[in-house]
Amino acid sequence: MMIYSIRKKANMVFALLFFVQLFIVQPLYAQAEKNGMAATAHPLATKAAMDILAKGGNAVDAAVAAAFTIGVVEPDGSGLGGGGGMVISLVNEHKNVFINYYPRTSEDVDKLAFDFDKDKKTAKSILVPGTVAGLVSALEAYGTMPLSVVIQPAINYARDGFPIDETLGKIVLDNSNVLEKYPATAEVYLPGGFPIAQGDTLRQPKLAATLEQIALHGAKGFYEGQVAADLSAEIIANGGMVTVSDLKNYQPVISEPLQGTFRGYKIITSPPPQSGASVLEALNIFELGNLPAWGHFSTSDKSLHFLAETFKRVSSDRGSFIGDPKFNTVPVNGLISKSYAKERFADIDMGRVNPAENRMVRSGNPTKHNSSSSKQSQNSVIKEKSVSSESYIISDDQDDESMPTSNRWKNPRFDTWGKKKHISADAPVEKEEADTSDNINDVDKPEALFYKSTLAPQLAALAETSGEGGHTTHLCVADKNGNMVSLTQTIGNFFGSGLSACGVLMNNGLVNFSAISEKNRIQPGKQPRSSIAPTIVLDQNGKPYIALGSPGAGRIIPTVAQIILNLLDYKMTIKEANDAPRMFSQKFDEKLYIEGRIPQEVRTAMERRGHQIQVYDNFDLFFGGAQLVLYDAQSGLFYGSADKRRGGSAGTSTGRSED
Amino acid sequence: MKKLSIFLFLVIAFSTFAKDPIPASGLYSQPILVTSAGQSADVSLAGTLLRKLNLNFKVVNLAKESDLSGVKTLVIVPGFSSKGLGAAGISREQELDRVKSILKSAKDKGIKVLMLHLGGKARRGVQSDDLCQLAANASSLLIVVKQGDEDQFFTKLASQKKVQIKVIDKMAEALTPLKEAF
Repeated sequence: MMIYSIRKKANMVFALLFFVQLFIVQPLYAQAEKNGMAATAHPLATKAAMDILAKGGNAVDAAVAAAFTIGVVEPDGSGLGGGGGMVISLVNEHKNVFINYYPRTSEDVDKLAFDFDKDKKTAKSILVPGTVAGLVSALEAYGTMPLSVVIQPAINYARDGFPIDETLGKIVLDNSNVLEKYPATAEVYLPGGFPIAQGDTLRQPKLAATLEQIALHGAKGFYEGQVAADLSAEIIANGGMVTVSDLKNYQPVISEPLQGTFRGYKIITSPPPQSGASVLEALNIFELGNLPAWGHFSTSDKSLHFLAETFKRVSSDRGSFIGDPKFNTVPVNGLISKSYAKERFADIDMGRVNPAENRMVRSGNPTKHNSSSSKQSQNSVIKEKSVSSESYIISDDQDDESMPTSNRWKNPRFDTWGKKKHISADAPVEKEEADTSDNINDVDKPEALFYKSTLAPQLAALAETSGEGGHTTHLCVADKNGNMVSLTQTIGNFFGSGLSACGVLMNNGLVNFSAISEKNRIQPGKQPRSSIAPTIVLDQNGKPYIALGSPGAGRIIPTVAQIILNLLDYKMTIKEANDAPRMFSQKFDEKLYIEGRIPQEVRTAMERRGHQIQVYDNFDLFFGGAQLVLYDAQSGLFYGSADKRRGGSAGTSTGRSED
Repeated sequence: MKKLSIFLFLVIAFSTFAKDPIPASGLYSQPILVTSAGQSADVSLAGTLLRKLNLNFKVVNLAKESDLSGVKTLVIVPGFSSKGLGAAGISREQELDRVKSILKSAKDKGIKVLMLHLGGKARRGVQSDDLCQLAANASSLLIVVKQGDEDQFFTKLASQKKVQIKVIDKMAEALTPLKEAF
C-alpha cells in the first residue's frame, strides 16, 4: 500500500513537473528573433521541431521531426498508419513544392465488399498508408539531416512514454468504443477495460520498435520486410485489404502546389484530391465583397451571412468537382479562377438565405472558366529522385454526380461497383444519363428526391459524426532562412480504423470515398477526396510569409479561409487571427455553426436572414485546431500561434514567448 | 494519545455522516436499465463497470418509457457527444426531450435513479451542463469523476437536493460506490 502510495505521488510529481516545463517554454503564442518557429498541436512535437532548428536543421528537417513525433504523442490524429500533404516553400531555391502522401486504395480493393455504414471504423476501411513514404521523401529531397536524427524524438516518446494531456484524455474517452474493438489497441488505450486519462503515462513499445526499423532502413523499414508482412497480415486477417505488394509500391507524389492570389498575396496550397482549391475559391469570392468595411464576421451579421452563403457554394462545388485527378477530370483552373468567383458571388443573395434550404444550393459550372484563369502550376510536375509524379487532367467534362452508388446495382448502366458500363453514345440510356449529369440537388430529378428523402438524414448524421472535429493534425515550421513548411496529416477519423499492427494505428481512409459521387467512388490505386488544405501565403516578393492549416474534416476549408481573412483583410496579429470566433456552414447541413462568443444580437440578425443557428462553446474543437507561423521580413521576427481549441503550442528554443 | 485518537475518529465519523444525508448502501435494486443523456460513449463504460460487478443490467442508449418495464433502477450517464447524437440520428433537442421523458416516467413508476458522470471535464460545458443538471436533479445518488466537479457543480446540486454524492478520482474507482449502492 505504501509502495503504491509513493509511486502514485511520484507519478503526480512527474506529471506536474512535466506540464510546468511545457508551459514555461511552449505557450500557445511565441515570438522569436532567430532560428525560426514551429507550431504544432502538441508541445512535444513543437519541442522536437525546435530542437532540430536549434541544431541547425532547416524547416523540412524540423517539420519531419515534428510529424513523426506528433504521430506518437497525438495518436488519435495522425501517425505512421495514415498520410497527408505538405507544402514546402524554399527561399533561396525559389521553389514551391507539394508532397501528396495521402493513403490510397489497394490494387485489390475490388475484392473488398465495403459497406459505408457498417465498415467505417473497421479493418475494411484501411487504405495503404503514406506517412512514412511522404516524410522520408521530403527529408531526402529537401532536408539536411539524417532520418535517424529527426526520428529519434518520436522513438523516445513511444518507448519511454509521455503524460496524457486533457485533449488526448477526452478523445480517448470519446472513442473508447472504437478502441475496445481490437485487443492490440485496447491493451494500449483501455488497460483494465477503462480508458487512460489525463495525467496517465502512455507508452507504445511496439510503435517504438517499428520507428526504429524506419530509422535503420528508411521507408523500406516500413514498406518492406517483416513490418510490411505483419501489417498486411493483420489487416487482411481482420477483413481489410492492404497487400505486401501495395505497401512496397506506395509512392508519394511530388508536384508544384496549387496557386492563387488574395489581395495581392500569392497563396500556395494543396491540389486535388485535397482541398486547397476550395480555400482559393472561397477567398476569390470574399475578395469581391468588402469585408473590412462591413466589419468582422463575429460582430457583423452582413459579413457572417456572406461567409455562410459562400461556404455553402464552395462545399457544393467541392462535392461536384473535386476527386483524384488520376481518375477524373477536375476543372481546377476554373474553380480557382477570378471569373468563376464573380459568377458564384452573383449567386449570393446578400439579404437572406437563398435558397431557403442549404441542400438546394446548386453547384456552378467552373468548366467554362477553366481556360480563363492564368496558367496554373499544377500542370507542371516536378520529377525528383525516385518519387513518382502525376500530371493533372484538365477537361471540360463533367461526370455523373447524381446517381447514388447505393442504388446503382439496380441500374443497368452501372456495374456492381457503381462504375459506369461502357454503352454506345446513341443508346437511349445515354440521354437519361445526360439528364442526371448536373447536381444531386436538382429537385425535379429522381436522384434528388432519393437524396432528399433517404440520404439527407444519413449525410447529416455523417456530418455530425465528424462533428467532434479535431481528428487530423496540422503543423507548420519556419527556419532561420525563412523557408516554410505547412503540413497536414491524418489517419481519418479519431484513431482511424481502431486496428493497430506493429504498434501502428491504421487509418480508415476508405470512408472518405463516396457512395453518391462518381468522381469520388472507390477504385483500385485511388486517393479519396480529402478536406485537408495545408497552405502558405507568399509576400509580394514571392517569399514565404505565413504558413497555416487546420484539422477538422469539413471545417478545415472555412477555418483556413477565415484565418487568412483575419490576417489579410482584418489586419489581425496571428494570435488574434487564430483566437477569433469561427463559423462553419456547408451544403449538406441546414445549420450555421458558430462559436459562443458571437453575440446574441448577431445571432438574432442572422436568424432574421433565415439561418438556423447552432451555438458551440466559446472556443470549440469542432472548428478545428489551426497552427500558423508568420515571418515578418521587415522586422526579421518570427511569430507562431497554436490553437487554444486544441492544446497545441508554438515555440522556439531562443525566442521570447508569451501567452 | 488514545483520547486524541477517539476524538479524531468522532470528528471524521461525524463529518462523513454530515456529507451523506442519505446512506447509499443498498439503496438500489436490480434489474438495472442504463441509458445515456447526451449519447456520449461513456454509457458503454458504465456497462463495463456494472459487468465487472456481475449486476443484472441492460444498456439502451436511446431508452424510452417502454424499456423501463420490470426495471428497478435507472442508471443515467450524462455527457453530450455530437458524434454520438450523429450516430443515433437525433438532434440535441430531441435528446433533451427523451431524457426529460424517461426521467419523468421513472419518477412516475417509482424507479430510483442513479447518475454516473464518468467523463470528467470532457462532459461538462455548454452542451453537457443542462443534461447533467437534468440527470442530477432526478437522482438519489451521484457518482462523479473528480475532474467533472472541479467547479463543485455536482456537489452544489447534491447539496441543494440533499442527495448523496461520491466523488472519485478515476473511472475505475466507481466500482466501490456502485458495489455499495447495490
